Amino acid sequence: MKKLAIFTILVLICGTTSPSLVNHAYGQNDPSILLRIAVQADKQIISELDQVYGNQIPNNIQILYDNGKKAVQSLDESLSNDDVEQAKQDFLLAMNSFMQISRTISHSSEQISQMTVSEKSNKQLSNELDRLVKYSKTLEKLSKKYNVSVESDFIKINQLVEKLQSQIDESNVNSDDIINQIKSILKSIKSDIHEAAVNQRSDRIKQLLNQLLDEINENLKLAETNGVDKIQIDIGNELIFEVKDMLSKNQIDDAKAAYYELKELMKNIGYPVIFR
Amino acid sequence: MTSLIEPTQLNNSLGDDGILFVRNDSILDTMVKVPLLVASIIIAAALLPIQSSFSSPRDIDLTIYPDGSTHVLSEIDVDPFLTDYELNLFGNTIDNLVVIGDNEFLLDVDIIDDTALIQTFGSSVITIEYDIHDLVSKQGRLWTFSLDSPSDFTLLLPKNSAIVGMTNLPINMEIINDQNQLTLSSGPTEIDYLFSTNSISNLTEEIKNEEDNYLYIIIGGIISGIIVIVLVSVIIIVRNKQKNVKKIDQVVTIQKNNILDLETIFKLKSDLREDDKELVKFIFNNNGEALESELRKKFLQPRTTMWRAVKRLEREGVVEIQKKDLQNLVKLRKNMEEET
Repeated sequence: MKKLAIFTILVLICGTTSPSLVNHAYGQNDPSILLRIAVQADKQIISELDQVYGNQIPNNIQILYDNGKKAVQSLDESLSNDDVEQAKQDFLLAMNSFMQISRTISHSSEQISQMTVSEKSNKQLSNELDRLVKYSKTLEKLSKKYNVSVESDFIKINQLVEKLQSQIDESNVNSDDIINQIKSILKSIKSDIHEAAVNQRSDRIKQLLNQLLDEINENLKLAETNGVDKIQIDIGNELIFEVKDMLSKNQIDDAKAAYYELKELMKNIGYPVIFR
Repeated sequence: MTSLIEPTQLNNSLGDDGILFVRNDSILDTMVKVPLLVASIIIAAALLPIQSSFSSPRDIDLTIYPDGSTHVLSEIDVDPFLTDYELNLFGNTIDNLVVIGDNEFLLDVDIIDDTALIQTFGSSVITIEYDIHDLVSKQGRLWTFSLDSPSDFTLLLPKNSAIVGMTNLPINMEIINDQNQLTLSSGPTEIDYLFSTNSISNLTEEIKNEEDNYLYIIIGGIISGIIVIVLVSVIIIVRNKQKNVKKIDQVVTIQKNNILDLETIFKLKSDLREDDKELVKFIFNNNGEALESELRKKFLQPRTTMWRAVKRLEREGVVEIQKKDLQNLVKLRKNMEEET
């Protein structure tokens, strides 16, 4: 028994240490986060004020900054006193003050802080490239699922990405053509995947609708037994027949429309198609 | 093997027949411990994924690129009995849209302005991802992210960005690859940020340091825990060993008091076969007893051959056979001299 007791204690120790790792990863409502953000915003605002105004800070901005600074100090105190509600208010007040300051500064310094054309282009190109690479990876995953033979296209894309990357690194920005090529190949790949997915999608839709129709059929029988208007029952049965007929002819969109009509009818007679 | 053997009456003298009764009290422990061990391991293993899944808040993940464009990744539960699902997008400047249903099934989607009509047929969960250029605006050096989110979401800000204003309380903040990731609640949110060469790295380092400290504390705690566990285990093992050594010593002492030495045995039983003598030697050196299976392994003999040899020794009055855990325990006879 002694051994069992010790063993149980050890298990409990392990049990209490392992969740602490998880709580860290998903820890919510940690009020110290508020202070970290506010303090950092405060530092950034001081830096901005120094850059833009030096020692001649306009009065209205100085008042805003003082309010923000006080709120940060109050936030620190509130957290020390474990007054979370007050801390939240302080945080919002501080961030609101800093927000107003930064917006005022950005208005006044818009002309000064314009990026050069090449800087702007490089940044945008690099970001566009990142987005396309991400999109390409998603499509690559899908192409494998649908067994679409587009490996050579992805190799080509990779080559173009490398080429563009080197141009961006060398600030040799003349890359619209490459971007367009990548986009064009991706478009073609997506089209191929769609084509490959059509058959599977059609089968899947038919399978699902047939399954739903069987359930609706049962519900109609039950409704008839329970004395629901015979005309409504007949309309329901006709719609089932129509949907099945359309499915057999691959008229998927028409079948969908008829199914929705049937679904509405079932809802009206009190036997809705529900998620089970 | 010896650790399992414990004389029933350590303090009492043995009977006249010199038979040493043994019992295996570890069976109960084993029966209780094994299921307990298995259950504990399962519980411990289950703790982590269960908690993480319970506390996972992710529905919408947004990633802001340095140029202000935003990648949206969203998972949505849909009614599998609906054929279509209408989704309001966060704007109408959409690029690189992909909608995937259950089992990574590519779904058809039509976009009209900022609405996506997705043919979901049968899917209960859909994953939609796209790039959008409507969520971030820029004035001067100030970037402003604005969103009225239908649910809680995560927002990964670009590298070297520093938040200088926000209208909502963040639920959480983490650093991922030197980027701030905020978890924010549903509803309208505005966040102002600037690109800074130094301050964000300070914040990142500050948070990293705190996280590192936290990590060190956790690791320290775990290591301490392990050390405690090891120490406790060592103490238990040492204690058990001491106990067992004592017991074995007592057993050996008791046995030695009763078992003749090899020379005497062989003198008394001079007609023993050479191979049988080897068996006796082994049993003697093994504290006067050995399982038949151990003998088979030691002498590489088939079951029937060994069984005959043991029976032969039993007939000669050299050994006695007892049942232990459904096995034959072969023990040297005590008081062999008197019998002869």
